[in-house]
Formats: sequence, C-alpha cells, structure tokens
Amino acid sequence: MNWILQALNGISMGSLLFLLASGFTLTFGLARFINLAHGAFYLLGGYIGLSTLRATGNFWLALLAGGVSIVVVSYFCERHLFRRTRDNHLAQVLLTIGIVYVIADIALLVWGGNPLRIPPPAFARGPIDLPWGIVYPRYRFFLIVFGAIVAAVLWVIYTKTQLGAIVRAGVDDREMVDALGINVHRLFGLVFGLAAFLAGVSGVAGGAFLTLYPGAEWDVLVLALVVVIIGGLGSLGGAIVGSLIVGLIDAYGRWLFPEFSYFMVFGPMVILLLFRPTGLFGRET
Amino acid sequence: MGVAAKVGIGCAGVLALVLPQFLNTFWISLLIQILVFGLLALSADLLIGHTGLFPLGHAALLAVAAYTTAILEVRHAIPTLLAAPAGVAVAVFFSLIFGVAVRTSGVYFILVTLAFGHIVWGVLLRWSSFTGGDNGVGNVPAPTFGPISFPTLSSYYYLALAVVVVCTAAYRVLVRSPFGLTLRGIRESESRMRALGYNVVAHKYAAFVVSGLFAGIAGVLYIYWNRFVSPATTTLVISAEATLMAIIGGTGTIFGPFIGSAIILVIRNYVSGFLVQWMTVMGLVFIATVLWAPDGLLGLARRYRARRARDATSPDMASLPKR
Repeated sequence: MNWILQALNGISMGSLLFLLASGFTLTFGLARFINLAHGAFYLLGGYIGLSTLRATGNFWLALLAGGVSIVVVSYFCERHLFRRTRDNHLAQVLLTIGIVYVIADIALLVWGGNPLRIPPPAFARGPIDLPWGIVYPRYRFFLIVFGAIVAAVLWVIYTKTQLGAIVRAGVDDREMVDALGINVHRLFGLVFGLAAFLAGVSGVAGGAFLTLYPGAEWDVLVLALVVVIIGGLGSLGGAIVGSLIVGLIDAYGRWLFPEFSYFMVFGPMVILLLFRPTGLFGRET
Repeated sequence: MGVAAKVGIGCAGVLALVLPQFLNTFWISLLIQILVFGLLALSADLLIGHTGLFPLGHAALLAVAAYTTAILEVRHAIPTLLAAPAGVAVAVFFSLIFGVAVRTSGVYFILVTLAFGHIVWGVLLRWSSFTGGDNGVGNVPAPTFGPISFPTLSSYYYLALAVVVVCTAAYRVLVRSPFGLTLRGIRESESRMRALGYNVVAHKYAAFVVSGLFAGIAGVLYIYWNRFVSPATTTLVISAEATLMAIIGGTGTIFGPFIGSAIILVIRNYVSGFLVQWMTVMGLVFIATVLWAPDGLLGLARRYRARRARDATSPDMASLPKR
C-alpha cells in the first residue's frame, strides 16, 4: 500500500514542480533567459500569500496576491535589469543570484527565520479515505487537480491558440518572429509575467505542505532545474513529463533510501545527459 | 608585463610576507581566507576565463577535499602528509565524475554543475552517520609534518601562502603552455578547433579535472585554516561567489581571482560586522558587477588605459562616441 501512497506523494510534488518549471522553461525557450531568482519568487510569493491569508482569511485571495505581487516584482526586474544582460548566460546567472540574495534577506527580515506553514483552505483540510485502507491528506489531492488544470490550460493555449503559435514560433526562431512584425518585447513581457504569476502562486500552494523557510528558494529551484534539464529547456511537454518523473523519483527515493534521496533525483539526470545532453524533448540551443 | 605591474607584484609580495607581523588574528585569518578562496576562484577561472565554460559547483570539490582530510585526521588519526594528499585525490576523483558535464555546453553546463554541487550538499547533509550531518566535522588538528607543526594562525598563514604561490606559479605555466592555448582556442571557436583536429571534449574534460585538482588543494588549505567543515561550505552561494570573484577581478588573469577574493571577503567580513543586512549588500555587489563591470576591475582598468592611449595618439578619435 505504501507504493500507492508514495505514488500520490510523487504526483502531488510533481504537480507543484510543474507550476515552477513551466514558467522557467518558457522564459528560457522564448527569451533565452536563465532566471535563478525563480525560486526566490516562489518563496516571496508564498510569504506574501501567507500575510494575505492572515489578514483576510481567504485562500483564493492569498493565491492571487502571491501571484500578482510577484508579477510586479518580476516586471521591475525584467524592465530594468534582465534586459541589460542580453544573451550572456553567465551575466544572467550572477545577476539573478544577486536578486535572490536581496529577496531572501528582505524575506528573512520581514517573516523571520522559522518555518511557516500556510494553513490549507477549509475544503482541503483533513484526510481523505481511499480504498485499501489508505488515508491521505485532502490538500495533496487539491494540489494534483490544481496542477493538472494549469497544465491543461497552458497546453491548450500553447498548442491550439494563435498566441501559443506565436510563442512556439518565438522559441524556434526569435528573429524571424520579430521580422514578421510581431512585438517580441511585448511577447517577452507576457511570458515573464505568466512565469512570475505561476511562481508566486506555486509559493502559496507549496507553502501549505512544504512550509516556507529561508533556503527554500534554492531547494525548490534545484528540483525545478532538474525537471527542465530532464524534460529539455524550452519545452512545455518536457516540463510536464519531467516534473512527474522528478516528483515520483523524489517520493520513492525519500521512502526507500532517505540518506541518498538526492542521488535518486540526480542520478537519472546524469545518465540521461550522457546520452541526450539536451534532455528528453530539448533541442540544440 | 609592464614595469608598473612588476613593481606592484613586488610590493604585494613584500606586504604579504611582512604584513602578518603587524596584524591581529582577525586580519590574518581573513588573509588566509582570501588566499584559499582566491585559489578556488583561480581554479574556476581555468574554465571561465580560458575554456569558456561557467561552472557553478566548485564549492562541492572544495568541500569533498576538506571533508576527506578532516575525517582522516579526526577519526583515523592519519598524519597530515597522507591526509592532505588524500583530500586532493578525492577532489580529483569527484571531478573525474563531474567532468561528464563537459559533454554539455552553455546553459546546460551551468545547470548541470549547479546540480552536481547540490547533490554533494544533499549527501553531506543527509548522510549524517558518516559526514556528521549539519554538525559537520570539527576539531581538526593543526597540520603536522613529522617534527614540524603549524599550530598558530600566523605560522599557518606562511604555509598557506607558500602553497598558493607554488600553485599559482604552476597554473601560470599551465595556461601559457600549448594546452592553455588550445583551451583558449576552444573558448573562441569550438568548431574551428575541431576542424583543426583537436579533440575538443577531451581538452575540456582535462581542463575540468585540472580545475578540480586546484579546487581540492584549496579545500585542504581550507580545512587546516577553519579546522571545521559543514555542509554550509558546499552551498551554491559559495560556488557562485567563487565565480563572481573570478569575474570581479578579471577573468583569464593570474591575479584577478585573488583581487576578487579580497574584495568579496573584505566586504562580507567587514559589512557583516555592523550591518545585519549584509546579504543585501552582497546581492547588490553581484548585480552591480554584472551591470557595470562585466569584465571585472582589471578589465575596467584595461579599458581606461586603452582609452587614454587612444586619446593621446589620435585626438580626433576621442570625439567619436564611446561604447
């Protein structure tokens, strides 16, 4: 029965990772920007959501506040800092690490160093009884459904709408899209905004079961990075498959080999890189 | 090398030898720290400045060397003469494994090395029966070679200085050799070097392993300075700082990484003394470097000199818009 329990753990973790990794991978695919502050956005969104929840008592409002506030932060960063790095990846990495320092320090000052848990909404509180005598937290199911809905919506936009077609074209050949008269900068702004919104929302959603603490920004970021490395940078499908793989490996690894759970996540990544350096669905960049 | 540079290096050498006589332990400790992390930044710079790869996991190589030496010294009472080389050897062994990262390039290399660094951090933290978990390994004895021991901070300073000078000299020979030239060729144009018949992947792999060797030596110097190592030494933050040190000082140079190390560590140690928000200051240093000094301070100086020379020789050029 533990196998099923761990599968549920893995899928719900994967669901959270997808919220983070999808934004990261699309930002990279389109704008060629490596945003290591994505984890800090997650943490800050979670903290702001927590404060909103304490003030209003409404979980949905907290989700929204977490997302929207991060959009504002990200807009400022994109407008004044990110653009100046052009396509220099090392500059992007160091710049965004600097932003992580600043955000983490402010968060420590405002919310303190103790782990904080966001109370789940009333409808997702408590356990749920499954067949075979499994008792499972209701909130984790909510997270799986939430992640699946976001994935489905993103997938439909990405593959079925004109906007999605433009984004896919931009991932393939940015200069060509620009030459065809589409405002690439507005498109970048849109994708950065979407990624930031998802990061902030995932901070609130994740804060309810992973808790929020100083250092969480790197923990979630590194898992999201493994997702995009396995799935392939710039691929939405890769983010979906990758987050499920990483979530499941992480859950089984923690259960079977608690001391080496990190190896369990990174081992397959290394083996994959040996044979397919661009990940499952990635292309040469 | 110009006369001014030679005089500068001479002065720095004399200062490095004499200065500790007049400093208290806080500053001597800081000087050792600058040497250790300068060597780590130098090792990272073999990849950044010469090969064109950007590693973000070098703190892990430093940490495995430090842990190995510490565990051998503390738990098995192995003498320094064996424990120190063993630490370096383990770092080289890890870089032989992590070296597979050179199969990737660009962003993937950054992310893969970051992930490697995080694996090491995670294992050091979780495998507490062997690594001591969050408590790390402490009470490392002073380095002792038979009858000769280095118990005080200032005596250890001279030992560390000697090791770093020897390593830096070896590094200088290496980057000026045909091997170093090949690495810079790869940085400039990988496809051209491949067309010329060079085995590009093998050269990158060798550069990674040599870089790991220097990082391992830095790790052994670290453990005998700090006498304690914990997973905090392995974090991404330390790896990123090593990269930033190399960039602030100026990549592809010999002294740049040490200058960068001095700047970063002085800011961190000095500012954290009176400002709780020193992390913010460090973050702003990262951001400012990327925005205003992407070629580092030596790069800034070089640009300034080039501009002055140009203004002196052809006055009409000075009126042209500058980059």
